[in-house]
Formats: sequence, C-alpha cells, structure tokens
Amino acid sequence: MINRLRGRRTSALVYVIWGYIIWSLVPVIIAVIYSFNDGRSRTVWQGFSFRWWWQDPNASVFQSSEMRNAIINSLVLAVATLLVVTPLGVALAIGAQRISGRGTNVVQGLTSAPLITPEIVVGAALLITFTRLFTAVPLGFTAQLLGNVTFSLSSVVVIVRARLVSIGPSFEEAARDLGATRWQALRFVLLPMLWPSVMASLVVVFATVIDDFIITSFLSAGVSSETVPLRIYSSVRGGATPALNALATLLVLTSFTVLIVGLFGLSTWRKRHGERGGMRAALADVTRMSS
Amino acid sequence: MRRAPRLWTLFALPGTTWLIALFAIPFYAVACVAFGTIDPIFRDAVPQWNPMSWDFTQASQTLASLTSGPLRGVAIRTVVYVFCAMVISFTIGFPIAYFLARHSGKRKLLFLALIIVPFWVNYLMRMLAWVNLLSSDGLFTRFMRLFGVNYNWLDGSPITVVLGLVYGYVPFLILPLYATLERLDWRLIDAARDLGANSRQAFRLVTMPMSKAGLVAAGILIALPMFGDYYTNDLLSRSPSTEMLGNQIDFFLNASSQPQNGALLVIVLSIFLLVLMSFYLRSTRQQARQTTR
Amino acid sequence: MTTSNFRPMQRRDFLRKLAITTGGITVGGSLLAACGGGSSTTSDGLSIGTPQNPIKLPVSTDPIADGLANESGTLEILNWADYMNPESIAAFETKFGVKISTSIYDTEEAAVAKLRNGTFKPDVILGMTDTGLAKLIAADILQPLNKSYIPNFGNVISGLRNPYYDLESQYTVPYFLYGNGIGYRTDVIDKSAFAQNGYEVLWDTKYKGRLAVLDSYRDTLAMAIFRNGGNDANSSDPDEIKKAGEALIEMREAVNPKVDILGYQEIPAGNRDIQFLWSGDMFTAVQYLPEGVDPGVLGFWYPETTVTKNDFMCITKAAKSPVLAHQLINFLSDTDNALLNREYVGYQPALETITVDMLLASETIPESLVDALVTPEKYEIGLAQVTLEPEVDALWLEQWTAFTAG
Repeated sequence: MINRLRGRRTSALVYVIWGYIIWSLVPVIIAVIYSFNDGRSRTVWQGFSFRWWWQDPNASVFQSSEMRNAIINSLVLAVATLLVVTPLGVALAIGAQRISGRGTNVVQGLTSAPLITPEIVVGAALLITFTRLFTAVPLGFTAQLLGNVTFSLSSVVVIVRARLVSIGPSFEEAARDLGATRWQALRFVLLPMLWPSVMASLVVVFATVIDDFIITSFLSAGVSSETVPLRIYSSVRGGATPALNALATLLVLTSFTVLIVGLFGLSTWRKRHGERGGMRAALADVTRMSS
Repeated sequence: MRRAPRLWTLFALPGTTWLIALFAIPFYAVACVAFGTIDPIFRDAVPQWNPMSWDFTQASQTLASLTSGPLRGVAIRTVVYVFCAMVISFTIGFPIAYFLARHSGKRKLLFLALIIVPFWVNYLMRMLAWVNLLSSDGLFTRFMRLFGVNYNWLDGSPITVVLGLVYGYVPFLILPLYATLERLDWRLIDAARDLGANSRQAFRLVTMPMSKAGLVAAGILIALPMFGDYYTNDLLSRSPSTEMLGNQIDFFLNASSQPQNGALLVIVLSIFLLVLMSFYLRSTRQQARQTTR
Repeated sequence: MTTSNFRPMQRRDFLRKLAITTGGITVGGSLLAACGGGSSTTSDGLSIGTPQNPIKLPVSTDPIADGLANESGTLEILNWADYMNPESIAAFETKFGVKISTSIYDTEEAAVAKLRNGTFKPDVILGMTDTGLAKLIAADILQPLNKSYIPNFGNVISGLRNPYYDLESQYTVPYFLYGNGIGYRTDVIDKSAFAQNGYEVLWDTKYKGRLAVLDSYRDTLAMAIFRNGGNDANSSDPDEIKKAGEALIEMREAVNPKVDILGYQEIPAGNRDIQFLWSGDMFTAVQYLPEGVDPGVLGFWYPETTVTKNDFMCITKAAKSPVLAHQLINFLSDTDNALLNREYVGYQPALETITVDMLLASETIPESLVDALVTPEKYEIGLAQVTLEPEVDALWLEQWTAFTAG
C-alpha cells in the first residue's frame, strides 16, 4: 500500500523534475546554438556558420581584440586569485580549526562572515576603501584580485576545514608518536591528506572568480580590466551580435572543463588512496559550498 | 594539540589580517563616507575618519527618503519582489529537492548532475539566454504570440524581473534544500505513515518540523543575494518602475556623483541583512544540532 | 547666472558661416573680447563659461613642448559607446603603429567622478561637453593643448574655435554636433503626432513600455522644463526644477519609460517606439537596423525649444602618451577621417569642411531623418547647456534621483 502510494507520487514528481531541467537548461542551449547563427541577430535564425566564432575578422570571439582581451583578463584574474587564496586559505583553515584562547571568536567570525555577506556589500565597501582609504591600490586588476581573494577566502576555509574535521587528529598524533616534529607531521602527514579539499577549493574558487560579476565590476577600471561577465553585462541589451553568445558559451565551457577535470582528479585521488565515495564524493566535495 | 597554540595562531594570522584589512576595515570606510561631509564643488563625499565627528545630517535625510520619500517605493518594491521570488522558488525548488532526496533509483546521479549544471552556468549567461528569448522577436515572445499573448517582456515588467530572480537563484536553493532533506531520517516518516498518518499529515507533522531549520537556512541563503541584486533587474528591465535597492546602490556608487548616498544604503542594507544572517546562523546551528542528535 | 533668452553672438555668427560654408574667418576672438570675456569663477571655484559670459579657463601647467616624438605602445581613450568608428581606430593604429584601448562611460557625471577617483586613467577623453568641463578643470584633470600638433584645428567650425566654455580652445577641440529631440518609429507614430507640443508624446500612454528618455539628468530634466513651457536649460529656479521633476514622475507613472542611452540600438531593433535622445543617435541607429529593413522606419522630431551643442575632445594631465593623444585629436579633425568616423557614428562632425549640404548630397541621410540634421538655423534657436553651480546642481540631482528611484 505504502509502496504503491509512494510510487505514484514519485512518478508525478518525475515530470516536475524533467520540467525543471528543461526550463533551466533549454534557454542556455538555445543561446549556445545561436552563437552559430549566420546573421547578425541573436534571436532570428539565419543559417549555420562559424562567423561569430572565428570567421568574422573583427567581430568574432577569437578575432575581436576586445573579446580576446576580456577572456585573457578573466583567466589571469582567476589564476592569480587561486595562487593567492589557496595558501592563505589552507593556512587559515588549519589555524582557525585549532586556534584557542583569546581572539578565537574574532577569527571564527571573520572567516565565516564573508560567506553570507551579499557580494554587493563587499563590492561597494571595497570600492569605497580603494578609492578613499587604501588609495595606493589602483582600481582594475589589483583591486579585483584583492576583492576576489577576500570574497573566496572563506569558501576555501570551509572546504578545507570540513576535510580537517573528517581526518581528525589521530594521524598527526601517530606521526608525532613515531618521532616526527609538529612541523614534519603537518608537512608529511596532514598536508598530503588535505589534497582533495585543496583540489575542490581550486575548482570552486576558479569557477567563482571566472563567473564573478559584482565585485569584479565594482572594482574594474574600464576596458583594461574588463572580464567576460562584465563584457556580457555591458552588451546584452541592444545590438550585440551572436559573438556575445559565443563568448558566453566559452565562459560556460571553461567552468565545466575545470569542474570535470577537478571531479576526475578528485575521484582518481580517492581511488588511489583507498578512500570510498568515488564520483559522488567528489561531486559532494565540489558542491559543498552550497550546503 | 593544545600545547602549541602559538603555531596555530601563526597559521591563522595572515588570513585573519587579510580579512581585517579587506573585510572589516572596508565597513568602517563605508561608515566614514556615509557619515562624512560633502565636497561643496563636486557634491562628492569627503570621508570623516574620526568617528567622534561623524555627521548624521545626510544619513537622516536618506533615512527619511527611505521611510517617506522617493526611496520608500524602492524599499517596498525590493521586499515585495524578493518575497514573491522566494515563494515561487520554494514552490519549484522544494518538490525537486524532495524528489531527489527520496529517490534512490539508478537515475538519481543523472538527475543530480543535471540539476547541478545550471549552478555552473554563468549567471549572466543564463540572463543573456532569457534576454534573447524575451526580446521582441525572440523565440519565447514569438511562441507566446501564437497564443495571442503580446507582451513586452523586457520593458519594465515586474513579472519578468521576479521570474528572472527565480530563474537565477533557484539552483542555489535546490542544492541546500536537497542536502537538508537528504540528511533527514526518513524512517521517522515511514513510521508516521505506518502509524496511520496520511501522506499530508506525515509531511506536515514530521517532514516539515524536521527540515524547518534547513529550509529557513536555504531560503536565507538566496534571499541575501536577492536583496542586493541589481544586474538581473538591469538586464531584464532597466526601468525606474522596477528599480530595487541594489540598483540604487549601484547608481549612487557607480553612476552618480553622490557616493555618500550609496554608502548609506549599503549600511541600511547591511543592517537589514544582518538580521537575516543571524536567523541563518541560528537555523544552521539548530540544524547541526538536529542532525548530530 | 544664465538667462533663458540669450542669443549668443558668436554662435549666430558661426551659423551664418556654416550656412555659407566657405572661408575660414575666425569670428570669436574680437567679438568676444568686446563682450568682455572675463572669467566668471563662482565662489566655490568652478570656472563656468556661458555664452553671455565666456571664460578663459585657468591653466596650471604648460602644454607639452613642440616637436616631441610620438610615443609607442597603447593610447587609452575614454569614450561613449559606439562613438568612434572601429575602422577609424584601426586606421589610427596602423598609421602610428600603436594600440588604442577604449573605456566606455554612460553618463558624464559618473565619468567625472571616476576620473577624479582614478577609476579611469585615459590619455584622451572624447565626447565630453561643457556641462562637465568646469568640474574637470576644477579637479585639475586636463592638460592644455599644444596646437602645433593639431594643424587640423583650422578645419573646426570657425565659431567653435574660440568657444564660450573654453576661450582660445586651450583645453578642448570640438568633436560632434547635435541637438536634443525625439527619435521614433515612423511605422508606429505619425509625424503629425508632434504637431502640438511634441514633447507631450512622451507622456502618451499609447506608448507605455515602448518608450525611453536619456539617462542624462541635465538633458532629460531640461526636456521636462521645455515641456512645461519653460525655456531655460540651466534653470536655477527651484520651483521650475521641482515641476520638471514632477513632470518626469508623472511620465513614469503614465508610460513606464526606460532611462538609458540605448535608443540608437533599441529603436532600430524594434524594441521601442520612441525615445528622447541626441539627434545624432538616429544616424547611428541606421547602422543597427536589421538586415533588409528600410531606414524610413526611423524618424526624428526636432523641437523648437531644445538644447543644441557640441561635444569635444580633451587630454588628461596624467596622460601617458600626450603626443599620441594630440595626434588622435588632429587625426579626427581631418576632414576625410571625420567623414569615415561619421559613417559609423552617424553624428555630424564639428568641422567647417563638412556641411549639412554636403551630408545631404552624400545620400547617406535617409529622407525620414533629414530633420535630425543640425542646420545652422536650428543651431541658432538652440539653447546652450552649461555646468551648474553646485547648489543648483544639487537641486537637479535631487529631482533626478526621485525620478529614477521609481
């Protein structure tokens, strides 16, 4: 009886879920398809071509200097943020997990606050700071880098701390019992075990930064620091050509490439180190941010 | 580990310093601009770094504008839009998260993957997709014309803005909802059913109370960015009649010569959101307690 | 400070010249000296020139020396969107072996604010007008020009070689001319709709949701003043300013307008029927018509009471490539280059060598848009728009904020 009832409810929900999946993905897929439109329009199909990808000598994604510029800016910003935020975040995670005494609350509060502060607040505050207080920091790449590191630092901390909790102190204690110094235990036992969380945070931070709009936009300084999302934002309305769709498609492809490489990396690591979970655990690592 | 706290302090030091300098101090800078004075020539803000001599005249003017002046409409509209978007998001998101959490068939991983996909598609790309569909010769507009619906979706329509918010943020709701519901002890629900509760009763009396904290937390997680959103609105409407608080902050800080108003609105928004955040922290703590119990 | 019914001498003269379209007699100097072209610095320190009271702007540094070599590398431009032909950019890049990178601004006041706080650090600014010039000077952002690098300055419309906002053209060289008016779709709105107080059409609920006004508080509020029967584009009367703001709010309630400068894209795309905009936008719009659409769908109503003006090019004090910056100004003031630039931008170059008759003869102006051309007669009727005193400016901004806050 119960099973039959449950079965019926489930089947009704299957339609809902398929409906949702279609609703959430089809518009994007259409936008991708229109990047191959032969005409200037982003809404009326005029035949298939690679005109807006590379054939048009000025306006296509790979030929337009502005679009290429935006792609390069996006990639450079994302990689630079990773380089700064990863060591900073891992150290902070270890420190915040184990710190005691005075100042603990400050550290805990500071590391969790950016996670739930809306970006516009962070962006606006940093804009004011860089234009009025820390005026030595020029708007543009430097400010965008500092802003993105600030905003993504907490996600690294959360991901790494979750891993620290699941590892527990016993491995390090064992190493210490065997004569390792505290530093050696950290370096040769703990850090290698943190690797999956580091990898997950690399993926998450890369995707966050490359997709970031608000902070990057508030802290930009004109075209020299225009990233892909900024470019999309400024030209969505009006007469932009399907090259814009192509540019957006590239952005999505980049995120997914990083995600998939990250997922395979994580599940391979898990397999090699005899941890269970495989793909699903890897997915959980990467999406931990959301839950 | 307690014997070497200094080492761990050293580890936490760079990150903490960073956050003090670039997260905490900026809030102080915002206050200094908001409560500073105004340059007589450029009408630009002159920050007052000494809190003892903060000037609140401009602040009280902006507050008055929010409660009874031109900004009142913006404030009310922001709350109404976010509320509507939240209701619709839950209506869509909850059944899906529920299904995912209860379903354990072979296709679960496929569903999960497909539902995570929009999470990884750039927000602006998703808005771009809808701008294309909704423009006057867009596919969706043309499709709706077949049914006699001739509507200017992109010309200052509140419906478009609210639906845009839903479309933008619902993926961010589904995942945490799913995580909450998956953690539930479904045996309790089965037990309720076995004890004679019908499915609605079981849902109301068992599922809801158990997942309430998680639902609140997930809801707040998308309400926070929605309250500060301005680009959804900008891309889908760009009309004064759908202007939200985020648009005003963006306008004052990025497109006007009066940043002190923007700084004040940031403070107002932060205080308002602080209340939501404390709710969030309470619910997550509650949730943590529930799951560890 | 300003009165509504001034008839600037130098302006009328320039128009006469434009009408005759030959010769190169400079009008400004002597006449203006006769007008007592002293400075009209306000107590706050803004140097505001008006047609009645032209100003020689203060100079705090010397122009660059003569005969310097061109820099290499990148020339940074701050410009409106679509306000320079990509082909002109390419031509300049090829000629001087440099790269041009362009940052975009949407509103003049935001551009001034961002130039002040260092967000924008361009070498050259294109398209600024005298509503922002006094602030740029007060903020010490511009450097005086060395005209020896700009031999083409002689091509500039003679009456604008010594403009009231910058006597002796120390800082600025005119770029384009335009007047404010209403662009519309002729397939939706008939010309006759504008027969009586054409501004009222912007309040007509028939075009609800298909209508926009400029995202420029000076232009759009001035338009509301004209609609209310006023004729002072620089009004300092609090009552008149307030009534203009109320008229805009009335418009907002009635027709749900958009506030942006995208009319030149949205009208040809068919996304909106009517917008208050700069006349040149409608020529730009021709570019944006979908393939196969007759340019005749684009119409323009040129109001009797409206603002006509020119914008200009100037160089920042912090320019990294000041010589190249001068070269760009000279390049764009060359007749052939200006014509190439106009092909894309659509606006009328402020060059004496490019006349209205010549543009009409070129057959690049659709019949329906002939009204959008700024003829000497129209320029004569047009009102000037100047930087406002800070206290007055605050009144304008207050009304604008109330309007845009919806």
